[in-house]
Amino acid sequence: MIHDSSNDKSVAPIPGNSRRSLLKKGLGLGGLVGATLAGARTAQAVSGDPLITEVQDWNRYMGDGVDANPYGSPSKFESEVVRRDVAWLTADAKSSVNFTPLHALDGIITPNGLCFERHHGGVAHIAPIDHRLMINGLVDTPLVFTMEDIARFPRENRTYFLECAANSGMEWRGAQLNGCQFTHGMVHNVMYTGVPLKHLLAEAGVKTRGKWLLPEGADPAHMTRSIPLEKAMDDCLVAFKMNGESLRPEQGYPLRLVVPGWEGNMWIKWLRRIEVGDQPWHHREETSKYTDLLADGLARRFTWEMDIKSVITNPSPQAPILHGKGRTVVTGLAWSGHGKVKRVDVSVDGGRNWTTARLDGPGFSKSLHRFYHEFDWGGQEMFLQSRAIDERGNVQPTKNALRLARGENSIYHNNGIQTWQVRPDGSAENVEIS
Amino acid sequence: MSDGTRWLQSVLVTVPGEVRKFSLLLCAVVATVVSPLCQADANAGKVLFSQCAGCHAVGPDATNRFGPQLNGLMSRGAGVADGFDYSAVFNQNVSEGLKWNDVTLDAYLASPMSYMPGTKMAYPGLQSSEARSNIIAYLATINIDGRVEEGTGTTSEAAITVKQAEEVRPLAIDVPIPEHGVLHLGRLALEDEVVAWDIDVRPDGLGLPAGAGSVEAGAELYDVQCASCHGVFGEGEGRWPILAGGQDTLTEERPEKTIGSYWPYLSTVYDYVRRAMPFGNARSLSDDDVYALTAYLLYLNDEVDESFELNADNFYSIRLPNEANFIADSRSDESWFEASVEPCMSDCVEGKAAVAQRARVLDVTPDGE
Repeated sequence: MIHDSSNDKSVAPIPGNSRRSLLKKGLGLGGLVGATLAGARTAQAVSGDPLITEVQDWNRYMGDGVDANPYGSPSKFESEVVRRDVAWLTADAKSSVNFTPLHALDGIITPNGLCFERHHGGVAHIAPIDHRLMINGLVDTPLVFTMEDIARFPRENRTYFLECAANSGMEWRGAQLNGCQFTHGMVHNVMYTGVPLKHLLAEAGVKTRGKWLLPEGADPAHMTRSIPLEKAMDDCLVAFKMNGESLRPEQGYPLRLVVPGWEGNMWIKWLRRIEVGDQPWHHREETSKYTDLLADGLARRFTWEMDIKSVITNPSPQAPILHGKGRTVVTGLAWSGHGKVKRVDVSVDGGRNWTTARLDGPGFSKSLHRFYHEFDWGGQEMFLQSRAIDERGNVQPTKNALRLARGENSIYHNNGIQTWQVRPDGSAENVEIS
Repeated sequence: MSDGTRWLQSVLVTVPGEVRKFSLLLCAVVATVVSPLCQADANAGKVLFSQCAGCHAVGPDATNRFGPQLNGLMSRGAGVADGFDYSAVFNQNVSEGLKWNDVTLDAYLASPMSYMPGTKMAYPGLQSSEARSNIIAYLATINIDGRVEEGTGTTSEAAITVKQAEEVRPLAIDVPIPEHGVLHLGRLALEDEVVAWDIDVRPDGLGLPAGAGSVEAGAELYDVQCASCHGVFGEGEGRWPILAGGQDTLTEERPEKTIGSYWPYLSTVYDYVRRAMPFGNARSLSDDDVYALTAYLLYLNDEVDESFELNADNFYSIRLPNEANFIADSRSDESWFEASVEPCMSDCVEGKAAVAQRARVLDVTPDGE
């Protein structure tokens, strides 16, 4: 979001921006569903499947050689699996956001090219040889590092989610966007390679009065946020690789700050400077934006942690059930800025009754967790919900509980339980229920 | 071949032939000398064009914004963007035969308002003739459909990579190890380097530079630099941020969060304008310009009168009205936080679930085509 739309023209719908083809589009997503639809609906084949009985082109003719794709791309049948934006949310694409297609992914790692983007002055393109990182302020020795200097510090590899504080922010006043890509797609999960920030700070020597940091980007927004020193000494990284390869330009190449579990805006991209100070700076992104306006007119500031949250990614409006009744897999993601996810419960009846889902894959602290719930669907209408609980005992709240506590103008930190209505025909819709 | 010549050669190789013909403005006087500075650089022009992109679009989906879309500008004729409401003086110039070429567009970009008094193009002008020729070269690469013409394209990523790969560096065998720190990495930051980058301003006054600016001076700057996006009275054009008004709306259904109604500190205004504005031309304003614009934004929010001058001495006597209404994070007071009770597993809510609201009714989700 949308940060620039909090003056709130943001809910004005664009007339005629039709969504009626979404279900149809959903049928095409993933490629394989269209091809297997007929087979899936038929209990027993009555004549031989020509895909089996006849020789296909791809069985006969040569494909690409090893020199055709020096940097590989996804299959052409996956062309629908892309980041998408919502044009009416912001004034200009250079200060805007797009969304990760969560409904088309599985496991816990987000592919680099699908990690959602949010920047405030377009993507800066910086040659590593031209990049500098300065540490100044309340330090014994103000320093300048090159990328080569940074690569000489001890490195660590850690997997973290990054969630924009405004993820699900469009849903405060009720169900608005129809697809988990749009309601929850401002999150991604990446294994970073980087240097613990505490090592860089130790090199400059933080003075005892130093309590706060101001990281700054080299992009035209010169993005800044105030971060308490304790967080930097705890688990922040200065990262240069994501999922094994160099950061993508839109994720801050060649260097970004990683602030595990805290709102994405603080993960300064194109990181060029860190100032040490004795007080916070109260800059634009921590006053005018990223403060949470409450119903009584007061506003919370420095709401850094991203709270316990989960969403069912399949089925969802962009990924309906196409196979009819019978064996069905429900899957989704859960995460918490307070640590590991301990448990995820799934409800098919709108929160009346819950079943504990199966967590699978690595369960790292402050990382996405994948859950599955397999069951026999009788073809009845469902109201699908997921509810996550983290290791500190935080229980994902309902949206109504959040509205009761905060009102509807907070924009940020909406971690409420999502409901998808699944109809007997398998189509799904973002709804709020009584 | 020295490293220097090799670098030069790799740059020249990447400059498309079509682009070179736009270099005449700069190169006429040194026509016998081949210098890379002579080549109008469409790539550099593309970067510079981000200054223009707030008002002018290019590309297959370009539409008119505050200014007309510019697809095929150098070949389509002047004043022909469909649906754009050109100024009277612009239309008059067109009827008198205005054509955009290297010379006329260069003169217009140098100072639109003196080349054509009365034009809608509220832009002060681009001082650097090199920058102007680069922008013109870039615009010349874009055809009427908004696509980059074959052979005139901007430098590919691959070509840039080649440039880097060709740089040869000696091994740093004899470089002494610094004494600072634990691992002795990095080097001392020089005073002028810190000054160049350390521009942040804090509410307690740390970082505020010397200088002054009046509401009157700010008004002139604002109309040229800011009003096209933020509106003449700070009301916000389109979806650009609203800067003024909104007092007493914070508890309403549609709060307007402006400098006057919401922002806690004036230092934030100074800091943000200085580091990030105007959009597409950051760091182009002087410290006095930023004082003047900050003063004018106070005036638009009814915090000062029109004779006011803001300076480093009176800056901290100004307090914004909403300062006291910011509180610490209190989410941990909410009932779900570190809940001591196990969540309910069965018969948790009475009655069957029924739809209270649907996303489809709003119909605001993009199709994604």
